[in-house]
Amino acid sequence: MSGTSDDDAPLDLAAEYVLGTLDADDATAAAQRAASDAPFAAEIRFWEAKLAPLAELAPEVAPPASLWTRIEQSTQADSLPRAANDNALAWWRASALTCLAVAAGLAAFIALRPPAPAPSYALPIYAVLAPIGSTQPLLVAVAGQQGSLLIRATASIQVAADRDLELWSLPPGATKPAPLGVLPAAGLTVPPGQPIGTKLLVSLEPKGGSPTGQPTGAVLYGGVLSELD
Amino acid sequence: MPAEAPGLSDRDLIAACAQQDRAAFRALYARWGGKLNGVAMRITRDSALAADATHDAFVQVWQQAGRYDPSLGEPGSWLVSLARYRALDLVRRRGREVLGHQPIEEQADLAPDPLSQLLSSADGGALHRCLQTLTEQRRRLVLLAFVEGYSHTQLAERLALPVGTVKSWIRRSLVGLKECLS
Repeated sequence: MSGTSDDDAPLDLAAEYVLGTLDADDATAAAQRAASDAPFAAEIRFWEAKLAPLAELAPEVAPPASLWTRIEQSTQADSLPRAANDNALAWWRASALTCLAVAAGLAAFIALRPPAPAPSYALPIYAVLAPIGSTQPLLVAVAGQQGSLLIRATASIQVAADRDLELWSLPPGATKPAPLGVLPAAGLTVPPGQPIGTKLLVSLEPKGGSPTGQPTGAVLYGGVLSELD
Repeated sequence: MPAEAPGLSDRDLIAACAQQDRAAFRALYARWGGKLNGVAMRITRDSALAADATHDAFVQVWQQAGRYDPSLGEPGSWLVSLARYRALDLVRRRGREVLGHQPIEEQADLAPDPLSQLLSSADGGALHRCLQTLTEQRRRLVLLAFVEGYSHTQLAERLALPVGTVKSWIRRSLVGLKECLS
């Protein structure tokens, strides 16, 4: 076994991921790959299992007494929607009905509107020009008239069943991105208020979004909100 | 339920977490909180960052318990891995940006002797035997990386070797370990 052929490279990467020598970006890329590449994930589990005894070399350190309360708070909200007898569920049902009503109203509005005499491009119109032959989906952000932003993929972005894409904004001068929500296939509308120069980022997260309020997975897409001049 | 839930295995507790059983979650924390925090502390060398990593790891346990597949690995290996990856990520992304590139003080406790602690379990015994097949310097690289969370650059500084040499030695050590452990 030479350990240097191309076939070995991904398995080396799995071992180095578990050993912990990869830099942060390579490590998140490896974690992301494990979500969709079964042999790679199996290789990671092999190393995790075999190297786990090394954790014995780190002595236990009692966490601060406040940590359990923090963990409880972070996981409490997560459990609410699953409680069948909780008011949150009733609220959710009511909201869903409202959304359906709004959607139905919108559909009627569109259907009843007289056809436009000629295309005037009152609505934001866009085209995305990608390298010919590229099969990678792209993401576009389009500003609406009221300053809201619609972010949508040009084609479906495939992620594992237990993952979601999450959108983040990093305004100029900020050091930590702010979460804008999980990005559904249909796209996401961001309320007005994102300043020009803001970086928009999309990361791969566990289902439902980052557990920490900060990106935990690989950042897959990024771009800067800019003015056309 | 007593805090440590006697009679329930870690697998039982994780399965109960998947059913939203908060007492089981509390018991799992009582059992593993100190271990995960200790692993994170060794990597971050900062009690606030270690607590952050432990927090994130347990939040992931709660959220992902339903997807934990016992046939794919021991609970302890899964739990420790969650904390290690979070600690490594925090220290790479934030800790060392803030702290700058400081040389890390010498720690005497990663000399070959503590390796005898591995002999307490069957898996640890196999790992101990395979680590002994590496030269001392390469064994040291592997241990510093896994336990202390050293990056390639830090390993190179610590052992006064070129980064390329460190990378290639680690790769060769992993190939050797894989053959020995398989």
